[in-house]
Amino acid sequence: MHTIVVDLGYGDAGKGTVVDRLCARPPGAEPVTAVVRFNGGAQAAHNVVTADGRHHTFAQFGSGTFSGVATHLSRLMLVDPLALAAEARHLAGLGVPAPLALLTVDRRALLTTPYHAAANQARERARGTARHGSCGMGIGETAAYALAHPADAPTAGDAASRTELRRKLTLLRDRLTDELGPLGAPPVDACLDAFAAFAGQVTLVDERYLPRLLRRGPVVFEGAQGVLLDEWYGFHPYTTWSTTTFEGAETLLAEADRPHGAALRLGVVRTYTTRHGPGPLVTEDPALTASLPEPHNGHGRWQGAFRAGHFDAPAHRYAVEVCGGVDGLAVTHLDAPSRHSGLGIVRGYHTADGGPMSRIPAAADAPGDLDRQQRLTDVLLTARPDAAQSPGRDPHTWTEALTEALSAPVLMESYGPTTADKVYGGGGSRAAAELIPPGSRNRCPETSPAGR
Amino acid sequence: MGSGNWSTTVYGAAEDYRAASGTSAFDYSDRLTASAPRHTWAAHPSLDPKGLTVRESRDSDEHPTSLALSVVFDVTGSMRTVPRVLQTKLPELFGLLLRKGYTEHPQILFGAVGDATCDRVPLQLGQFESDNRMDDDLGNILLEGGGGGQLTESYELALYAMARHTSIDCHERRGRRGYLFLIGDEMPYGKVKAREVREVFGDEIGEDIPTAAILAEVQRTFDVYFIVPAGAAHVGNADVLGTWRKLLGQNVIELDDLGAVCETIALTVGLGEEAIDLASGLDDLADIGSDAGAAVGKALATLGQGSGTVARSSAPLLDDVPGASGTIRL
Repeated sequence: MHTIVVDLGYGDAGKGTVVDRLCARPPGAEPVTAVVRFNGGAQAAHNVVTADGRHHTFAQFGSGTFSGVATHLSRLMLVDPLALAAEARHLAGLGVPAPLALLTVDRRALLTTPYHAAANQARERARGTARHGSCGMGIGETAAYALAHPADAPTAGDAASRTELRRKLTLLRDRLTDELGPLGAPPVDACLDAFAAFAGQVTLVDERYLPRLLRRGPVVFEGAQGVLLDEWYGFHPYTTWSTTTFEGAETLLAEADRPHGAALRLGVVRTYTTRHGPGPLVTEDPALTASLPEPHNGHGRWQGAFRAGHFDAPAHRYAVEVCGGVDGLAVTHLDAPSRHSGLGIVRGYHTADGGPMSRIPAAADAPGDLDRQQRLTDVLLTARPDAAQSPGRDPHTWTEALTEALSAPVLMESYGPTTADKVYGGGGSRAAAELIPPGSRNRCPETSPAGR
Repeated sequence: MGSGNWSTTVYGAAEDYRAASGTSAFDYSDRLTASAPRHTWAAHPSLDPKGLTVRESRDSDEHPTSLALSVVFDVTGSMRTVPRVLQTKLPELFGLLLRKGYTEHPQILFGAVGDATCDRVPLQLGQFESDNRMDDDLGNILLEGGGGGQLTESYELALYAMARHTSIDCHERRGRRGYLFLIGDEMPYGKVKAREVREVFGDEIGEDIPTAAILAEVQRTFDVYFIVPAGAAHVGNADVLGTWRKLLGQNVIELDDLGAVCETIALTVGLGEEAIDLASGLDDLADIGSDAGAAVGKALATLGQGSGTVARSSAPLLDDVPGASGTIRL
């Protein structure tokens, strides 16, 4: 059975480590065929630490790479060949033999170029103190340009043709320069060389590839960012230009004629809620930010500070609701409650006008109404959290509390950074969890999949 | 993001893809990392600090006024392709120093730092050499590419080595300090940990030494500089720059064209030796046909103020922003 891994928070919940664990199959179990990326681009930062201490921040390579699992960058992925080269280099340095040989790229995937990144940075800089918390890598620019100029947006397939790529890159550079002024970006010829080298080293595939892959064996779909950052359901404007729900993966499955429900929908949460950069984080507590050191997330140059707060139950319930429900949860940082007794779950807020708020309303009728999302953001930015209630130090009382809060079973527990720190199936019933039959969905009962 | 940063990214990517198809320059590192499992990786015997007595820079008949110069660079993953570029660029350093006579008898030691908390090879140190044996040391450096991702690397172990395991005639005989250039993009740990010193050097030091204290010790014999090169992961990180500025004041150099690293070091030495002021140093670069002048001038602007000893201006180095002209150095 296929699995879709999606972060139910603001990102950084631990998708990488969860995907790594899913790919590290016990001997005898059917190996995972591939990890498929279905949203976002090179700005993803999924940290994986191996048992022997190697650490890599996966951006475009799938987080199962250390287990030798191949990666497919689907047509919905925004591919950054320059960042990909650096990532392959780092993986090779960590002992992964020929990482580029593990990669297939759909020809239709959009390319993120230095021009997109430079434009992204120019715009974000112009926003001054009102920055959106962008990573500055040009992801939003890539999506925006493709919407405005669908026929001219460079794709992975174009990288195999210097003529076509030259035309598209020149047009792209000229349009962005006309709009924003000179961009600190290299000449087209330099990009052509690098992109041609990219096309020469990765396997470019067409639309027939993914359906074959999905027939071959179990696939893990690795989501990027988090549902609360979703372009339509996130708290506008502090969102990413990407659909961060299960939708992209479900679309790819449908295109491959896989029946609905062919994949287990796994939502990742941590025992406390974090956010990298600005935007609502109602349960934020500076004392927690200070006492919960973050090994892999620093102050981002373009993103801003890393912030932490108590587990935000209303926000995560909202995430489960807008993404159409989950089959189960993967809970990371379950070692934190025993070390930080102050850690708790916030079950409601008080809004600026003093009213209680236990649920963030999802737009059932008009999803994607950004004015509405903006108003929601304004409410959340001024809301005050109710007192956090601690389930105690025992991780099992935490998983029970989270199951109750989000109405979904905990299928994976994570107590540390490495594969060995994870329990899949909880309580030792790993085998059962790995083979959850498709009919046994236990989706959030309140869920009325918004806009579906 | 300066344009120099783009140039390294774009060319670095093209080279990375080409390298993936076969050839590459750095034998020891490439052979080891390609053929052996990571837990067996070790420093090349000539660079292993275990059991280190002293690295010596000595006067001789041939080199009566030796000047000790150490260049130690970060080889962890956050530095991306920077260490490889350094390996190709640094061999020029010796020639550059001699060509304009900034110092007559430089003796250069190359080294590399990683992260002692998680790397197999957290420190590698060559010898002070005054001929092309230093190139061999450089070629034997293992580019482990690890690191812990917590914005700290074990630079303090390099400081410890320089403080306690070097003996340099320029200082001992003539009272002239040598030069230590650290090249990296992260912070040092707060302390030299006794346990790591035992593991890496085999020394017993009893208790941890605060990094500021070991730095003060090094600074008796070396002028210490930290260079943050373009192309590393944490370029422009405020915590990293702030930490090093607190430790080293104006001796933190932001360099946005990695291709200019040798020129930057050479001119810094020229300034420190009072052989030149910045303007004449930049003229010298133009003289020898180097196109690194712009990057070096920018990087050393605050060091070059005043004549004589290196000036300590209080003006902060600002965030680099692409020039309005959009000029591109490639």
